[in-house]
Amino acid sequence: MSRIELKCDLLVIGSGIAGMAASLFAANRGIKTIQIGKTNTLSFTSGLMDVLAVHPIEEKRLWKNPWDAIDTLKKDISGHPYSKVSKDTIEKAFKELVAFLKSADVPYANYQNKNVNIITPIGTLKPTFFVPESMLNGVSALEEKKPCLIIDFYNLKGFSALQIKETLKDKWQNLRTAQIKFLDSSKEQFAEQMAYDLEKPKNLDKLAKEISPHIKDAEILGIPAILGVKRHSSVLSKLQELLGVKVFEIPTIIPSVPGIRLKKAFEDKLQDIGVQSFYSQEVIQVFHKDDFVFDVTGAASMFKIRTKGVILSTGRFFGGGLSADREKITETIFNLEIYGPFLRKVWHELDFFAPRGHNINNCGIETDEYFHPIDKSGKVIFNNLYAVGSILAHNDWTRMKCGTGVSVATAYSAVNAFLNQKG
Amino acid sequence: MFFSISFKISLAIFVLGTLYRIINWFRFKIGTDALSFTMIDRIKSGVIGIFKTIFSLKIFSIIKVLILDVVLQIKIIRADKWRWIMHMCIFYGFMLLLLMHAFENQITKALFKNYASTLNPFMFLRNLFGAIVIFGVLIAVLRRKKTPKILTNAHDSFAIFLLFSIMLSGFVLEGLKIISSPIFDEMVSSYISGSDDITPLKAYWAKKFHVVFKEKININDEKLLSEGESSHIDNCASCHSMPETAFISYPFAVSFKHFGNTLNDFRVDRWLWYFHVLSCFLGLAYLPFSKFFHILSTPINLLLEPAEEEKNKVTSRIIGMDACTHCGVCTENCSVAQIYQVTQNPNILPSEKLASIKLLSRGKKVEREKLNEIAEGSFICTNCYRCTKVCPSGINLDDLWTASKNTLIQQGYFEPHNWIAQKSPSEWAETVKKKKDEPSDLIDNPEIFYGCVQCSTCASVCPVVAASNGNEIDLTPQQVMNLLRMGLKDLAMASKMVWNCTTCYMCEENCPQGIRVTDIFYELRNKAYIRFKDVKENV
Repeated sequence: MSRIELKCDLLVIGSGIAGMAASLFAANRGIKTIQIGKTNTLSFTSGLMDVLAVHPIEEKRLWKNPWDAIDTLKKDISGHPYSKVSKDTIEKAFKELVAFLKSADVPYANYQNKNVNIITPIGTLKPTFFVPESMLNGVSALEEKKPCLIIDFYNLKGFSALQIKETLKDKWQNLRTAQIKFLDSSKEQFAEQMAYDLEKPKNLDKLAKEISPHIKDAEILGIPAILGVKRHSSVLSKLQELLGVKVFEIPTIIPSVPGIRLKKAFEDKLQDIGVQSFYSQEVIQVFHKDDFVFDVTGAASMFKIRTKGVILSTGRFFGGGLSADREKITETIFNLEIYGPFLRKVWHELDFFAPRGHNINNCGIETDEYFHPIDKSGKVIFNNLYAVGSILAHNDWTRMKCGTGVSVATAYSAVNAFLNQKG
Repeated sequence: MFFSISFKISLAIFVLGTLYRIINWFRFKIGTDALSFTMIDRIKSGVIGIFKTIFSLKIFSIIKVLILDVVLQIKIIRADKWRWIMHMCIFYGFMLLLLMHAFENQITKALFKNYASTLNPFMFLRNLFGAIVIFGVLIAVLRRKKTPKILTNAHDSFAIFLLFSIMLSGFVLEGLKIISSPIFDEMVSSYISGSDDITPLKAYWAKKFHVVFKEKININDEKLLSEGESSHIDNCASCHSMPETAFISYPFAVSFKHFGNTLNDFRVDRWLWYFHVLSCFLGLAYLPFSKFFHILSTPINLLLEPAEEEKNKVTSRIIGMDACTHCGVCTENCSVAQIYQVTQNPNILPSEKLASIKLLSRGKKVEREKLNEIAEGSFICTNCYRCTKVCPSGINLDDLWTASKNTLIQQGYFEPHNWIAQKSPSEWAETVKKKKDEPSDLIDNPEIFYGCVQCSTCASVCPVVAASNGNEIDLTPQQVMNLLRMGLKDLAMASKMVWNCTTCYMCEENCPQGIRVTDIFYELRNKAYIRFKDVKENV
């Protein structure tokens, strides 16, 4: 059967933050780009963008300034993806990304070029770097210990204002809580659905009326991140106007609305700047002969993609870039060589919560300085293949709080490397 | 004597049968809206309706319908050229034979003074019309053979067989008459004076007309033949054309010649005449009870198609069922017909379901098992309207399905999602606890759902969960997955979530683990149906 063959210069495989960023950078540079990936990766992110906050992880050392942390990291872990990019690259990459997101009405900001502490749904503080603008109010309010009301919703699971208050009681005494029945409904609530409900002005008015009596002396309101998806900015400002106090969002457990905002922004706007994207598609076969040819399949279609270069941003195990069975870990598309523990018995520590993490958290693809995957001997496998994001070895990004930074910076470097090589 | 008695009997059956069926148009009911009207109401309303239509501007649109849909059969030609040719061949071929041949004394003789059945062009035309009908019948047989989707029942086969045997017996009968010496003798005794020597005429007829005589006649004697020819011209030629023009019967005659004497001795032509005539009369008597009744009911149904008055709507539903020719086009186009391949319940197919619903409309008690079958087929129908759109008889099938579903519900036969909702999931699970089970592809294969991390993305994107006020669903999709992981599939089967799922596939598309949530729901429903249907109690 002959199938439709699509042609492009660069194929980005993956739809997480690394894949999205790579597609963005490629399209911004006029590269004819196709992106394929799952539909829903980004709603699995908190919507917070880390650069680097913890190093070394066994000491749990927190850094206020991520840039200083990177300097130290580069000395300590030579294989870490950050050792292949300059601070300048990371900054430029984020600048381009944040500008794009601003144009998509999902404004991101940082605070004094330093890591900030964001309250989590259980009241712990998570250090991160770029945050949705709607969360910054909370950062300053916490620092200034302003009188604050935090609300949660009846039947919204995984978010408890009382627990937040209890956890934060030493740091923020001026905290009150209230529980609200969302739009008078006693059914189970889901953040995404609540966010869409609040895009209707009638519902927002109703919610404001329910919150109002609880405000009292509070100068700021903390609310689960449910304030709209595509119309988030206007929902936020309207609510502040209705209540007469500042409002900040607190991330919820996944699937989280800030992540979904990112997803929608990329899905809508990448098309506008010329990325041809196929979500919910899967690569089933690859042929290589100078160009790559992929057989791609999905729910409704089957086609071929012929491309001059590939950016592999398929993530680790949950993303599907790596797969672990009883014996070994494999890379799922090109069967690339994996850096990491070979024997299953050393994949994990005996102590699940061991601060230094598990061997398996550092496994992944090793690359040269241009992010070409390399084999054991250090030889580049395909000179038109690049690996970026969390599939890269030597970064325990969940513990180091460096996930987004690694993804965005390596995507930026790889796209530029591809452009230079092609050019 | 034989002819007129058998004709009168069959005519009487035809008239009574037609009346019976017309009365039933007003007597039978389908649909709950039909219950409130009496038969007299409906007859009155029908008669008034017809008068109102005739004496209004609507009559023009009805004339248009008559010309386009009845005379020219535009609906069929649009759908299928061959079916149109088939219908035209059978209908018009038969009608022409009926007028020219069956009513030769009443019609043809009145129109043509010199008419004789053995004279051209009549002899040729009779063969031609017969051939046209046979051609149509052959298309009909081929169509039914070549389209496996169309089911053929005994009525279809008998109708085709009857037409074919009337035509074939006619052709063979004519062939036998050509070679018949007894008929020759009868003719001679009627038209030629007894003193004449008919040997030359016999020789001439044996040679040219292929009559088979017992005695040896020299048909190569030129003298004899020329004498015979002049006798023929004097006595016979004015009523007899050469037999070759009966282009189908003639070859029969030629092939019969070898055993012509035997055939003549036993007067097989007479026996065949009885067969031919009786077949025709059988057809006449059978007509009101057969699919041929559509000759009457289909035009009337097409006329009634725009019925507005409620009572007439109810009546036209019954007429519509009578207008069905069991042509199978509805089934060919049915969007759920594939399910028949799995369940083998013919009531899924519109052409077959119609017969069952006719049974239902009579108001007599139908067996529970049969009703269950009708209900199963009926509720698989999605009212997608495709059958209604393609029906060449213009039956408002969509309305019929809605009406019959209402009747079924009224009699306590519900859609699966309704009867399953009558018990709680745990009650169902308890009921079928000990029931044997065949493993299914998805719900019995843990590899399909073990990747679920209970992230609730499915619930988050589900429009049913979003729209629910808390009563429409009992579990969220990820909770259903969890039941499967715990091996509690019987409990998952009757879940409201599973049965209120709109199968929009949002969950499946958004699942980060690629779990086939919607497909699993489909399978749970199918499995629930199979496991629960035997133990459900009918109301």
